[in-house]
Amino acid sequence: MNRILIVIAVLILVSPAFAQKYITKNGYIKFYSETPVETIEAHNRQVNSALDSQSGDFVFKVLMKSFAFEKALMQEHFNENYVESHKFPSASFIGKISNIQDVKFTQNGKYNVTVEGDLTIHGVTKSIMENGVIEVAGDRVTGVSKFILKPADFDIRIPKTVINNIAEEIEVTVEVKLEKYKG
Amino acid sequence: MKKWILITTAILILGIIGAVLAYKFVYNKPHIDFEKATPDFILPAMEVYNSYKISRHEASEKYTGKVLQVTGTLSKIETPDSLTIAVFAIEEGMFGDEGIRCSMLEGQASKIQDLAGNEVTIKGFCTGFNDTDIIMEYCSLIE
Repeated sequence: MNRILIVIAVLILVSPAFAQKYITKNGYIKFYSETPVETIEAHNRQVNSALDSQSGDFVFKVLMKSFAFEKALMQEHFNENYVESHKFPSASFIGKISNIQDVKFTQNGKYNVTVEGDLTIHGVTKSIMENGVIEVAGDRVTGVSKFILKPADFDIRIPKTVINNIAEEIEVTVEVKLEKYKG
Repeated sequence: MKKWILITTAILILGIIGAVLAYKFVYNKPHIDFEKATPDFILPAMEVYNSYKISRHEASEKYTGKVLQVTGTLSKIETPDSLTIAVFAIEEGMFGDEGIRCSMLEGQASKIQDLAGNEVTIKGFCTGFNDTDIIMEYCSLIE
């Protein structure tokens, strides 16, 4: 059993019974790169994610081959050369919303949050701390965060031939519409 | 002199044709048409799921990145945002139903709307196992 599965298990099985868990299997992640030469976007709409409303524990996991690009050649290079999805099939985040006590899950509204934890891409784990917004609407909780990543930080090497096509800093958008777990 | 002009012009024209072809067929090459793709494996949904559960590494080597055509009882259809996901729920896990989740191609979504509870065959591109489910993208219903 790998680490993220253990965290999900702890979230769902071990946390106090009164703590509410929220989950989705249809979260969304977007990569966006813009240079004077080219704009590149990739979308993934089958992201697994879970949130514990009491502890603030938050995880997501995404399969790299599920990222869809406008151009087939970009998708091929992304998988084969950059993230090497045959060797590193998924990316994951294990962390928490550090100010979860500011989110009133019984009161509809938008709350500014700070998310911190370990992001693993291409087999490289980095600690990150980013801002996000949690929106509570009844049994649904939507979490959105937009942040910048550098491929080089994750040991992703961009060949010189396309160095002008891919930005050194990639904008990442994470949007998860979590539903109350009724299990 | 005239011969050199002809040779230079011919090289120039060939170069332009080469660049146009490279742009069209390499840089802008079309995505695989998964609806028409020949499946690499034809098998029951249960068999794919069990393979990943028993040995993720071996199953991944065999099925991830391949076109699978799977048959099983369609448990439900989910429609988050603009997506249509056909779900073969195979067992109950810690994350609710676990099984195979098939993201349907745009033109295919309406074909499966009323098929929950029926045995169906779906073809798509397997992107792997995310700890709870096997994910298939660009899926179509085999009629």
